[in-house]
Amino acid sequence: MTSATELPAAAPADDETGSTGLGSSPLRTDALPKALGIYPYAADLWAEGLLWGAVLRSPHPHARIVSVDTSAALAVPGVHAVVTAADLPGGSDGGADGATPGPVVADRPVLASGVVRHHGEPVAAVAADHPDTARLAAAAILVEYEVLEPVTDPEAAFHAPPLHPDGNLLRHLPLRTGDPDAVGEIVVEGLYQVGRQDPAPIGAEAGLAVPRPDGGVELHLSSTDPHGDRDRTAACLGLDPDRVRLVVTGVPGATADREDLSFQVTLALLALRTGRPVKMTLTRAESFQAHTTRHPALLRYRHHADADGRLVKVEAQILLDGGAYADVSAEALAAAVAFSVGPYTCPNVFVDAWAVRTNNPPAGRMRGEGALQTCFAYESQLDQLAKQLGVDPLEIRRRNAMSTGDPLPTGQAVTCPAPVTALLDALADSPLPALPLDDPEADWLLPGGPGGAGDPAAVRRGIGYAVGMVHMLGAEGEDEVATATVRVSGDHATVICAAVDSGQGFATLARQIVQSVLGVSEVYIAPVDSDQSAAGPAARGRHTWVSGGAVERAALMVRHQMLQPIAADFGMSVELLTISDGKITSYDGVLGMPVSQALEGRELWATAQCRPHPTEPLDPETGQGDAFVSIAFCAMRAVVDVDIELGAVRVVDVTVAQDVGRALNPRQIENRIEGAVAQGVGLALLENLRTEHGIPLNASLTGYRLPTALDTPDIRIAALLEERDVVAPFGAKAVSAAPAVVAPAAVAAAVRAATGLPVGRLPILPEDATLA
Amino acid sequence: MEHGGNLVNRTIMMPASVDEAVEALAATPGAVPVAGATDLMEAVNGGRLRPAALIGLGRITELRGWRYEDGGTAVLGAGLTHARMDRPDFAALIPALADAARTAGPPQVRNVGTLGGNIATGAPAGDTLPVLAALEATATLARPGTVREVPISHLLTGLDPLRPGELLTWVRVPLLHAPQVFLKSTGRSGPSRAAASVALVLDPARRGVRCAVGAVAPVPLRPLEAESWVAGCIDWDARGEDGAVLIDPAALAAFGEYVAAACVPEGAAGGEGAGPAGARLRRTVAVLARRALGRALK
Ligand SMILES: Cc1cc2nc3c(=O)[nH]c(=O)nc-3n(C[C@H](O)[C@H](O)[C@H](O)COP(=O)(O)OP(=O)(O)OC[C@H]3O[C@@H](n4cnc5c(N)ncnc54)[C@H](O)[C@@H]3O)c2cc1C
Repeated sequence: MTSATELPAAAPADDETGSTGLGSSPLRTDALPKALGIYPYAADLWAEGLLWGAVLRSPHPHARIVSVDTSAALAVPGVHAVVTAADLPGGSDGGADGATPGPVVADRPVLASGVVRHHGEPVAAVAADHPDTARLAAAAILVEYEVLEPVTDPEAAFHAPPLHPDGNLLRHLPLRTGDPDAVGEIVVEGLYQVGRQDPAPIGAEAGLAVPRPDGGVELHLSSTDPHGDRDRTAACLGLDPDRVRLVVTGVPGATADREDLSFQVTLALLALRTGRPVKMTLTRAESFQAHTTRHPALLRYRHHADADGRLVKVEAQILLDGGAYADVSAEALAAAVAFSVGPYTCPNVFVDAWAVRTNNPPAGRMRGEGALQTCFAYESQLDQLAKQLGVDPLEIRRRNAMSTGDPLPTGQAVTCPAPVTALLDALADSPLPALPLDDPEADWLLPGGPGGAGDPAAVRRGIGYAVGMVHMLGAEGEDEVATATVRVSGDHATVICAAVDSGQGFATLARQIVQSVLGVSEVYIAPVDSDQSAAGPAARGRHTWVSGGAVERAALMVRHQMLQPIAADFGMSVELLTISDGKITSYDGVLGMPVSQALEGRELWATAQCRPHPTEPLDPETGQGDAFVSIAFCAMRAVVDVDIELGAVRVVDVTVAQDVGRALNPRQIENRIEGAVAQGVGLALLENLRTEHGIPLNASLTGYRLPTALDTPDIRIAALLEERDVVAPFGAKAVSAAPAVVAPAAVAAAVRAATGLPVGRLPILPEDATLA
Repeated sequence: MEHGGNLVNRTIMMPASVDEAVEALAATPGAVPVAGATDLMEAVNGGRLRPAALIGLGRITELRGWRYEDGGTAVLGAGLTHARMDRPDFAALIPALADAARTAGPPQVRNVGTLGGNIATGAPAGDTLPVLAALEATATLARPGTVREVPISHLLTGLDPLRPGELLTWVRVPLLHAPQVFLKSTGRSGPSRAAASVALVLDPARRGVRCAVGAVAPVPLRPLEAESWVAGCIDWDARGEDGAVLIDPAALAAFGEYVAAACVPEGAAGGEGAGPAGARLRRTVAVLARRALGRALK
């Protein structure tokens, strides 16, 4: 199956067939409001009498806080409150060792106390009657710092003085399997580097906190993890969780966690302090300082293969720069280690991986954390191997491809479908894009930008392939669960589920599920707040699985309640009845009853949970263990044009074959793949938050280059492979992370093919693609 | 938009003629002229500028077009937008300026951003600037009762800067009726500021080549020696003849290196031209200059 991704010609309508159930592509409910600019985001919120918050941030990546004097800020007319770490329950008894006292989550303080560990770390905050007043007052807070030498080189972090009482090593995870002395006839080695990608959400952090009469606080935020955020905020404020209510507003872009903890706790604290609603919106520069980035990585690989190119042994050393705080570094490291060989089988694998603490910007969750960095490295190694053997890059991958049932180097058998070979075949069968034609538009499509710098005579075309994998759901024993309620009355249904639609389309999917199960035409998805039952964070492709599964179960329970009495009346089993288009019919056609009639004015409802099978931690000595619930695979072919004199690269086309289990909403899947490829192309060529001595150099959207429409290639879907994952609800796999993991490696492979250069780092700089 | 919102409380005037604008500028202390506001609002939103009053130039129709003078000069209004300069009639007149305007940001910005704003901002990566430098354009600066003419290069280097209360009204550009090229390297396919740019114009009447390199220094740089050297390498009389070789390819490449060495000198350690970044920039400039001359002589 080959199909170019086409936009609907006129006004986007629901699926041509008019169908809205699973497998069709109904229009997303938020699509039109977003396109018209009327979809409400947190930055649009307003409350009568609100105050404005502003944060004072550290100008140093590493310093001891000698003193904080807020008197000048408090004296500014219009200022209602100034808060520091001392205002948080838990106090300010900063230890001499620089330990962070008071309310911390893991190791990260809400407001720095005693020591700052990264540039831009929040130190104090102000609430005032005007945003400018708040900012001026924040600037008037006097902080005396004793500047300390920052640790900015992750390799130096091992021996540097500890930045935190628990040291600089966040996790060391070795993996040992097979024979350490095994050798192959062919050995290829490489050193690979991945830069610092920022999620750069298009809407910066924003929120509104409203104090409650009961001493609690209501937070309106674009949270993607409402219950987790509620619990952490309550813990930091010393409140019971039920005193904090988190109301989720429109999420303006989330490929990572949204609204860091410091932001929301500070906002809540200011509202509690002043007894007034407080609103805070970060500037773009602050946004870059506030959220976590992707882990920069250094990877050293050695692949041994036999004369046919079959892998004999893989050795790797992987170093992730976790930045100043732990965040999810340990989890990212597990993925890096478990997927260090990629979707290939290899009997002997020896890996050492470390995540370390530095004074660089903190790294955290971002699509395929850990898996992306290693994908670039192992795919680069396979390219080297293919080149040495003179074998086609697709062929070397086919020879080593993993199949369903094969083990990961962690010893876990991949029991979910692993259609790696089928994905490669789909790419091989997909037609290549045409070469640039001699048309007047062609000038614009040369590498080097629209400024006409490119020269057709210096352009080389390259074609590269990559395959990769990423796990779904939390790993290493994390408890995964979601709860959903479905209610039906008359001809419509309501879904109450705290799974945030962060743009991934969960609301549309939930609507499709209920329509499929209950045959009702109208499904209302209730707005999310933390008073509902928890569904967990929108990350790692969880919601399709756990929340979608919970919605399906609840809907099935309602269905049973509805059909049971009818089946009993007619003396047949429930299984012989079907619901579609608002009508209940029996297998023999005797019965045909509208759903509303069956309900007899009643309201039916059910609540259900979905909890996938448990996983276990990886062994700290050997890296062995069944750590993952399921894995998704993706293969990609990138075609690039390189101006070999300027080192300018343009990605012409990216063709994707993806393992989706079951395509629940094909159009939505295509959109997710397009977004992920664009992000991957950004990482491959443009995006890098550069730092010098721990200070970001390009924390603006002028300096930090996000891909625009012109930078984004034609993205085509060669295949959405539907081999159902029997343990997953609907048999479906999550779709967003896998293409983001693979795209950078595919682009690098194509640049390698065009230039013959090794291309060992991302993003690829002009000097990496220039031939002398 | 809480920052921009501040402007609501301030005076905004929309004069309909140059005279009115100049008067308003002189009469209102702290007033700042604004054209497309694509640079100005960025400064306001970033908290770097808080103008007491704004004099909007958008209604001054005469500044949004151009006229001719003495047969050999185009007099361009400061209010010409990048989008207007990109249109075919203008491109036929001053091709390099049209090329620069075509790449000066995304369409939304080019629809309102102006020539005058580009010059007054004088950013290192301002795209029209190297073209104006290569064309040796001059600017007309007006204050109530006085008008003066200043070479653009003097304006940009600060030798003779825009004075407070002065309005940039016109830009005088010689019409050369010969090939001219503007090339901009950005390191991405989408709109972006220049990493380096080269403007090159031929002046067959004077048998001259004029070239300016943008974005590598605070102001556009003219490699004068390279210009005069390469002018001597060109077979000016061969123009127009079929299959004629106007320049030896080796001279083209040498010109590129010459321009690059002049505009991005290796210099002292730590400077612009030092280290791998400097070498990279030199290389980019060399390629652009070689390609620009090659295309002009095609
Ligand atoms: C997203 C984006 C991308 C951009 N990309 C590019 C790019 O690729 N290349 C590029 O060159 N520029 C770029 N720019 C910058 C900007 O668009 C240009 O410099 C534009 O020419 C500015 O013109 P303006 O009319 O908007 O100036 P304004 O913002 O209105 O004014 C800028 C300054 O000039 C002064 N001024 C304006 N007109 C006059 C006058 N007649 N007399 C005296 N002073 C005056 C103003 O007081 C102000 O100080 C970009 C801007 C944005 C926002």
